[in-house]
Amino acid sequence: MTPASRERLGTKLGKLDRPGTVVWLLLAPTLLYLAAFAIFPLFYSLRLSFTDLTAAAGTGDWVGLRNYGDLLRDPHFWNATKNSAVMVSASLAIQVVLGVALAMFFNLQLRGAWLVRGILVLPMLITPIVVGVMWRALLNPDWGLINWCIAAVGLEPPNWFGSIEMAMPTLILVESWQWTPFVFIIVYARLQALPQEVFEAAIVDGAKPLATFRFVTLPLLMPAIIFAAVFRAVDSFRSFDLIFGLSYGGPARSTTTLSFFSFQNGFQWQNYGYAAAVSYMMLLILAVGTIVLLRFVQIRPGYAK
Amino acid sequence: MGRKNESGREGEPGKGTSGGVNRRQVIKGAGAAGVTAAALPGLMGARQAFAADYDPMKYAGTEINILMTGDENDHRALDDLLPEMKAETGIDLVVSAPALGPLIEKTLQNLKAEQSSFELIEYLGFLTTQQVGGGYFMQLNEFIDDPAETPPDWDFDDFIPAAMRNVGYYDMATGTVGKGTDVYGVPGLHSGSVIYFYRKDLFEEAGLQPASTWDEFMAAAQALHSDDVAGCSFIGANDFSLATVDWYTRFITTGGSLMSGDPNEKNFTPQINSAEGINALQMLIDYLPYAPKNVTQYGFAENVDGFSTGRIAQMIFWSTIAGPVLNEENSLVADVTGTAPVPAGPGHMPSAIQGGWGVGIPANIDPAKRGAAWRALTWVTNKRINRYSIEAYNIDANRTSAFKDPELLEKFPYLEHALSAIENAVTIPTSRIPEFFQMNAMMNVEFNAALIGAQDAKTACDNVQAQWEDVLRKAGHLA
Repeated sequence: MTPASRERLGTKLGKLDRPGTVVWLLLAPTLLYLAAFAIFPLFYSLRLSFTDLTAAAGTGDWVGLRNYGDLLRDPHFWNATKNSAVMVSASLAIQVVLGVALAMFFNLQLRGAWLVRGILVLPMLITPIVVGVMWRALLNPDWGLINWCIAAVGLEPPNWFGSIEMAMPTLILVESWQWTPFVFIIVYARLQALPQEVFEAAIVDGAKPLATFRFVTLPLLMPAIIFAAVFRAVDSFRSFDLIFGLSYGGPARSTTTLSFFSFQNGFQWQNYGYAAAVSYMMLLILAVGTIVLLRFVQIRPGYAK
Repeated sequence: MGRKNESGREGEPGKGTSGGVNRRQVIKGAGAAGVTAAALPGLMGARQAFAADYDPMKYAGTEINILMTGDENDHRALDDLLPEMKAETGIDLVVSAPALGPLIEKTLQNLKAEQSSFELIEYLGFLTTQQVGGGYFMQLNEFIDDPAETPPDWDFDDFIPAAMRNVGYYDMATGTVGKGTDVYGVPGLHSGSVIYFYRKDLFEEAGLQPASTWDEFMAAAQALHSDDVAGCSFIGANDFSLATVDWYTRFITTGGSLMSGDPNEKNFTPQINSAEGINALQMLIDYLPYAPKNVTQYGFAENVDGFSTGRIAQMIFWSTIAGPVLNEENSLVADVTGTAPVPAGPGHMPSAIQGGWGVGIPANIDPAKRGAAWRALTWVTNKRINRYSIEAYNIDANRTSAFKDPELLEKFPYLEHALSAIENAVTIPTSRIPEFFQMNAMMNVEFNAALIGAQDAKTACDNVQAQWEDVLRKAGHLA
């Protein structure tokens, strides 16, 4: 190696040695990954939503906002929106209430609690599609274990997925069964980390348990509850696999949510442009919903005010 | 690497003609001219001469990938026989068999790709227009006519004509399935239609004959219904077959006509809320008191289970279930199950939907593999496979010879009715357009809603009519 080439190499290595270069080099794989698998699909599907691409047509023509206009006039879209809203709000309420209650209960440190706690979190470790299929089998009207148990005690088993009235509550029940443990874990972790001094101060001040919970524990838990609620709301809104395995959107579209509606249009009927428009409407609803939730719900603990 | 054929092009079929007349033309021409049995040995001689050109190991060492349905037993039959295929042709056949949804998705991805990863693709008859009509499959006539490429015992004319019209013939000029003589696919790996299943023992006890009309079907349902056995059953769930089997069979056998007009002329108009359409759905609603308690959640599996365990007295169903319910290993009622053509309304003939699959070669496969793909296609659709599929897995055949095989007929008497059903089956008119599945799904949702009491038959049919018209207008099939 000549001195000149050694010097050139040294200059190159010197450039590499700059902090900025190293940072970008280290970030490059992640940025490439994000660009290829997140940003590009995001813009591609946005463009798709302005076309009439179907499997039959092959290459879609630009139709502007027609898909969005059609969506707003489509009663099945509004039905799916309503179903999504019902599912998210009801399952979220159940999960938050039960999750907080369970966290408070396990905070009592009863004997054997560790074992029950471990069992309790198992549902959320199961893939949602498996949960759907499993519950569909359990609730089978002819040979399902749950119906058999209900009939064994002399009661008439509900028609879980055979009636419009029962289908959505059943879906909410299963969704809550699977995801309440998630809220429980988040809230329980926060509960464990709370400073004991404030509780001791409350006791010294003569606060009763309910008042302590209302005015001390709950405000301190609020950041964890809000985090869990937002996370669960978004996840529940996107929920597809559970519905696919459990009710397939029926009966009579009573459990067809926006995710399932988008799937049907895109992957069953190959109306890709329309399905992309549904997805962007979902994104819009999610963005607005999350902003509203974060804006109007108290997220910082009360004592920080 | 395939060897060069007589046309000198690798993987391309030779012309296979003799004096300007190809084998199929000779046979068809002979049939048209009323050639008698006495003349047939001459034709057979011609076939033997053709056979001399045929080299079964021509494509030995080539790997061919087939994409096919995993929802039925076709792939199992094929898997069993792959070693035989390898021994006879030297071709390595790799089978991918996903469920219907992923199959359609994967198929479309491959057909639209620059080059398909699958050299053979199985498609539903209902999708012939979308996939074959889209120009995605190779025309096969040259291969069929080429004695160097087609096994001498493959016997193209043995395929059931109705199955060929459903998946094989396609007229590109008018976009019409079943028209003309251009072949784009071969029936495979099974065909099928709908037949009537009934419990012989229960009918005999009650002094009833198997129903040949819908009134008799209802009367039998009422007479045979008990706490242990439902008088009848049907697909009541939001399922593909609710519309295509139970409603459509009743609709067309009582004088209904699903569509009028032509999609190409933009006047393709549904007749769902016609008197026949509403009546066909009302029939299903009227069966509810005599059907299994949860029939509105009964799809394919629930009905097969219900019938096989003796809890259903009668139903119409895809003939593909005949084997399982008549198989003593799977069924408690194998020895007391009878089959017959579907009932029909007064003055109408039994008829139902044409089901089944086709196999074709995507137009965008590696050109060097075309010959091997055709060789594999002829192997998977040969007579032996067809016979084996019936015998081992009770799959409905797509060859006349399999349906008429004396040994099989003795073992599976239902084959007589299954063949008759296929021969009299009709291709559902909406399968002419790519929106078929979407329209079918709309119908199933609305009809299921009527069955669970959320709306009456007329409202359900009106809803379907409106939704179909909307889809047809958007797709440009209705002005």
